[in-house]
Amino acid sequence: MNSAAPAGVLDEQRRLDDLAPKLALGAVLVGLIGLAVSLVFGFIDGWAVFFRSYILNYAYVLSFALGALFFVLLQHVTRAGWSVVVRRLAEFVAGALPALAVLFVPILVPVLLGFEGVYPWSNAEQRHADPLLEWKSPYLNPAFFVVRCVVYFAVWAWLARYYLRRSLEQDQTGRVESTLAMQRWSGIGIVLYGLTLTFFSIDVIKSLAPEWFSTVFGVYYFSGCVVGFFALLAVGMVGLQRAGRLSRSITVEHYHDVGKLAFGFTVFWAYIAYSQYMLYWYANLPEETFWYSARQETPWWAGVSILLVIGHFVVPLLALISRFPKRRKNWLAAAALWVLVMHWVDVYYLVAPRAAQLHEAHPVSAAPLHVTDVSLLVGLGGLFLFAVVRLMAGRPLMPERDPRLGESLAYENI
Amino acid sequence: MSELTLAAKKRHVTPAAAAGRELYGLLVEFDDVEALKAAARRVREGGYQRWDAHSPFPVHGMDEAMGIRHTRLPWVVFFFGLLGCAAGVLLQWHTNAMDPQQFKFIPTFLQGFDFRISGKPLWSFPANIPVIFEMTVLLAALAAVIGMLAMNGLPRWHHALFGHPRFQRVTTDRFFICVEARDPKFHETRTSELLATLGGSEVERVYWPQRSPPPAWGRITGLIVLCLALFPPLWAYKMNVSLKAQPRIHIIQDMDNQEKYKAQQKNVAFADSRAMRPAIPGTIAREDAWALGTDPHFYEGRVGNAWAASFPPQIEITESLLRRGQRQFNIYCAVCHGLDGSGNGIVAKRAREKTQITSGWVPPTSLHDQTVRDRPVGHLFNTITNGIRTMPPYGDQLSVADRWAIVAYIRALERSQNARLEDVPPEVRSELR
Amino acid sequence: MASRVLEFDNTIEDPRQRAPLVLGGRDFTAVTDMVCAVAEAPRPPLAWYIAFTISAVLLVVLAAMVLYLVFTGVGVWGLNNPVGWGFDITNFVFWVGIGHAGTLISAILFLFRQKWRTSINRFSEAMTIFAVLCAALFPGIHVGRIWVTYWLAPLPNQMAMWPNFRSPLLWDVFAVGTYFIVSLLFWYIGMLPDLATFRDRAGTRARKIIYGLLALGWCGSSRHWHRFERAYLILAALATPLVLSVHSVVSFDFAVSQLPGWHTTIFPPYFVAGAIFGGFAMVMTLAVPARQLFGLKDLITRRHLENMAKIMLATGSMVGYAYLMEFFVAWYSGNSIEFFAFKSRALGPYAWAYWVMIVCNVVAPQLFWFKRMRTTVWATFAIAMAINIGMWFERFVIIVTSLSSDFLPSSWDIFIPTWVDLLTLAGSFGLFFTLFLLFCRYLPIVAMAEVKTVMPQARGTRHHGFDYNPDEFDEVAPT
Repeated sequence: MNSAAPAGVLDEQRRLDDLAPKLALGAVLVGLIGLAVSLVFGFIDGWAVFFRSYILNYAYVLSFALGALFFVLLQHVTRAGWSVVVRRLAEFVAGALPALAVLFVPILVPVLLGFEGVYPWSNAEQRHADPLLEWKSPYLNPAFFVVRCVVYFAVWAWLARYYLRRSLEQDQTGRVESTLAMQRWSGIGIVLYGLTLTFFSIDVIKSLAPEWFSTVFGVYYFSGCVVGFFALLAVGMVGLQRAGRLSRSITVEHYHDVGKLAFGFTVFWAYIAYSQYMLYWYANLPEETFWYSARQETPWWAGVSILLVIGHFVVPLLALISRFPKRRKNWLAAAALWVLVMHWVDVYYLVAPRAAQLHEAHPVSAAPLHVTDVSLLVGLGGLFLFAVVRLMAGRPLMPERDPRLGESLAYENI
Repeated sequence: MSELTLAAKKRHVTPAAAAGRELYGLLVEFDDVEALKAAARRVREGGYQRWDAHSPFPVHGMDEAMGIRHTRLPWVVFFFGLLGCAAGVLLQWHTNAMDPQQFKFIPTFLQGFDFRISGKPLWSFPANIPVIFEMTVLLAALAAVIGMLAMNGLPRWHHALFGHPRFQRVTTDRFFICVEARDPKFHETRTSELLATLGGSEVERVYWPQRSPPPAWGRITGLIVLCLALFPPLWAYKMNVSLKAQPRIHIIQDMDNQEKYKAQQKNVAFADSRAMRPAIPGTIAREDAWALGTDPHFYEGRVGNAWAASFPPQIEITESLLRRGQRQFNIYCAVCHGLDGSGNGIVAKRAREKTQITSGWVPPTSLHDQTVRDRPVGHLFNTITNGIRTMPPYGDQLSVADRWAIVAYIRALERSQNARLEDVPPEVRSELR
Repeated sequence: MASRVLEFDNTIEDPRQRAPLVLGGRDFTAVTDMVCAVAEAPRPPLAWYIAFTISAVLLVVLAAMVLYLVFTGVGVWGLNNPVGWGFDITNFVFWVGIGHAGTLISAILFLFRQKWRTSINRFSEAMTIFAVLCAALFPGIHVGRIWVTYWLAPLPNQMAMWPNFRSPLLWDVFAVGTYFIVSLLFWYIGMLPDLATFRDRAGTRARKIIYGLLALGWCGSSRHWHRFERAYLILAALATPLVLSVHSVVSFDFAVSQLPGWHTTIFPPYFVAGAIFGGFAMVMTLAVPARQLFGLKDLITRRHLENMAKIMLATGSMVGYAYLMEFFVAWYSGNSIEFFAFKSRALGPYAWAYWVMIVCNVVAPQLFWFKRMRTTVWATFAIAMAINIGMWFERFVIIVTSLSSDFLPSSWDIFIPTWVDLLTLAGSFGLFFTLFLLFCRYLPIVAMAEVKTVMPQARGTRHHGFDYNPDEFDEVAPT
């Protein structure tokens, strides 16, 4: 072992060991309780509210897995060296995608039943009554929707599992061919990822307001996924080191880089959000602005909008702009937790208001917050965490025989 | 010079034998990066402060080896970035969103303007963000560059080391360490011995360059250039206050002096030398009778010096006249006065919503007010023709007969809000409740 | 130096080690000699003279066309109602876009620690400066009364008249102006160490004085390097959002309108991706002849060309994605006018331009999926040329098709460029290449100081982190 890598790397704990069953049990219990509570409230408050909360929290939880998948693909496409130490963590988070496919099934229920309280276009009568929905019905109809979702999850599950599998297999064999194969597929993987994520966001989130449209929406959701993932990664790295895992391999340089990426993608998110908003504000076409009107014309929603601008952009920008905070674990973790909360607010902003039908005079805003919004966050979040921990159990938390591991361990920032 | 020599003696520096040259410092040359770094560590441990390492590229790990502290430059950049941001906000607020009436102390050429365009609010924050961002980046970047140069003491075209022949290679492939004689711990012999043990070349002495004063021709030329440079601003000032009778030289013509004949000009092509030609026989003027004042009742709604209380004889109150009046009222008047004449037209509603533009907005009168009902028809006719307060004149848009038709319809509207049950025809009475 | 029979292939993928970026086993002196030879040679190669003559002629043509335009009026161009923007704005967006690749290479690739950028960043940054100059020319001359263009600046005046900051055309002034200044500073500051190299190697007194003045007295001091590196990092971090913002602001010129085909939210990131795409194609167009003519093949290696090809593939895919999204949402929106606009792009009077664009921008870069194509020099050059053409046509298609058939069919009209339009476009290339060829001859064409930092000798004899033994992990892995 050369002297440039951190001392004591070989001796550190690189598996969850006894932590895994405890975490898994806790997560699944919390998840099931959250789900149960939500079902009760769904019964009481109405299924429209329940499904709104479900879609909201599902999109939130899924965004981490999708951000993780993008990270894994990107590191392979760019032949990155610095990230090898943390890439396995991303592979685990992305590996929960098959589980998330199962958790998606409840969303298909209101679609197939034609419950217009969730997706207006899923109801055949609505489709025929509204000429705009009629026009979109070759695309926005339950059958095609289901087919498309099957395709999305098939692609994601295959990609996530492939990369996890080959990375794990390299731990045993140490063969360079695994890396070469993963690199070879990463290019086309990113193309498929981009297309599936875009159309998923159109189908599941944008079609909640089926009269509305925006070409940059897929990029918007994508930017949220990546910001959310880097925040989760930072929290995960700090958490694992607190629990005594990977205490030597993850160095201050890795934190610095994750902080830089979180910063950069926060600015990118703000740029995309601004360009979508400003262009619609400027041209002032009612067929486009009604979506934003619903999100700023009541005091609650105006407050949420301003909270997003300040909390999701200004605060993380100032917190992460300087070199020194990014190199301090506690500061980075605090900033990352803040970003995780703000990312939820962002997804809430996208999903929660039911934007009006074109023929209504005023936008209808759904009631601001429901119990199910929080209980389903706990429920779905717990189950997601359970899926990730199940993958981590008994496996190395770091790709132990990746050919670029040495570079990652000894990596130093500018 | 003697003072320096005295100081040099204190640091045990022997003044150079030739021509009183002052020692700048001692220089060692190295072959590669590792040697340089190791040597740098040793010099730092030796407690020296005024010394430096030189390399053709930034050497990784040199900052730690030399003990260079983090520069304050990022803070300077951040400050100027914030300044740029504030400047962007202030610039756009001042030039596009400010009401100059509230800031009368500002001179005209610096005054701001409340620029209303395309229905956008005066302070259009979404539209102002690009310029704010660019100003932030511009000032921050300028601060980074100028700050870096200033902190590095650049430009510094005369450096003692440039005189040393081997030092030319510092920008190609060689590495150097130089300890300055001005360092408090500098001792010519001891420092020289330390440097000799560092693993580089022989220790060499570097002297301050002899600075010659600028040549006489340089100073004279500089003075002449300075004088010449004053000419343009002085000339511009003179031009500004010139009191000549002739017009200024007008270089860029735009379309300022057009070759056409204006109304009162001379034109020798015509016998009477006038550019303006009289009207040919048979020309019909607009509103001829009005121009001649022959029928003020019809054309102006006036009888004698008072407003006409009755409709002129040319106007016959028939249902078709009222229907015409209704049609024209709904087209021209209802937008402000409302379809029922109560002053609730869509323009009025929108103006109320746009709370920003409350100054200068006078709501349209309700036509059912007693004042309006009491007004003679001629007065109403005149209001339509010439406007009143913020209501524009409609004389150019409506023919005289149409205006009287509208007046008749207004009377009908007023009647509709002030009628008694007896006024309603019996067959329609049952529909009322 | 004896020519080698076999060219070392550093495009081989081996995850265990990073490919060497400077070939031929060179040391610092050799790299310096190689780069300085371009400017220090008594005569440049013959090809330089030929290229310079052609571009100088085109520059004169440009000057003639601009003078003709100023003295006669904008009517010499083919503009009409409704197509009020034709070649002028197409050329503006084209040139600004090209400039973006230089900043990407300098700033963004620096932030991503892509060491291979060091061989190409200097002339790419120069390319940016010259491209932005060419770009700024067009809005300047298209206003009609160019002697009052100073009204665009917020200068105090006796009429209390100020520019309209709510207009994207004014945002352009600030964005492109800031971009030019920051790029110029970034380029110049980065050049200081290399100008110092030129100064120290100068043969004649005149060269010594001129390069000495320009180098500001740079002496390679480590304390100076510390602040220099910090300033460079800060400039890179500032230039990154700046370059994103500039082409986004240019896209706002179109996207804030209500015109079908223009008003769409994906324009900002789409334009930025397209700018980088087109810009890299121009970098490639310059790099391939430069490395050949000036003997820089061991600095600008096939791996560099391959990496550029990969970036072109990535950004080209983003552009293709944007085309797809625009078309899909044009249908999805239910806005029949928008949908018609897109159908008419593909099938209407400008269909020929549209399909040239598709073939050059979407189809041609797909060849870069194949390693053989990425690593064959003439193939990368040919595909880059196709992309250059395609990106010009993309801007043409966006601007002219949307303007020529907007909301009212009675207003529709076709734009036909005049010979003045065509010659002005050709002449702009003359301006660009003249400046670029002069740059090659008189300024350091490769960032020598930066290249040296990525050579193995810069890190000393001890390697960092490359010789760990993966099997050692098995021995002590806890159960």
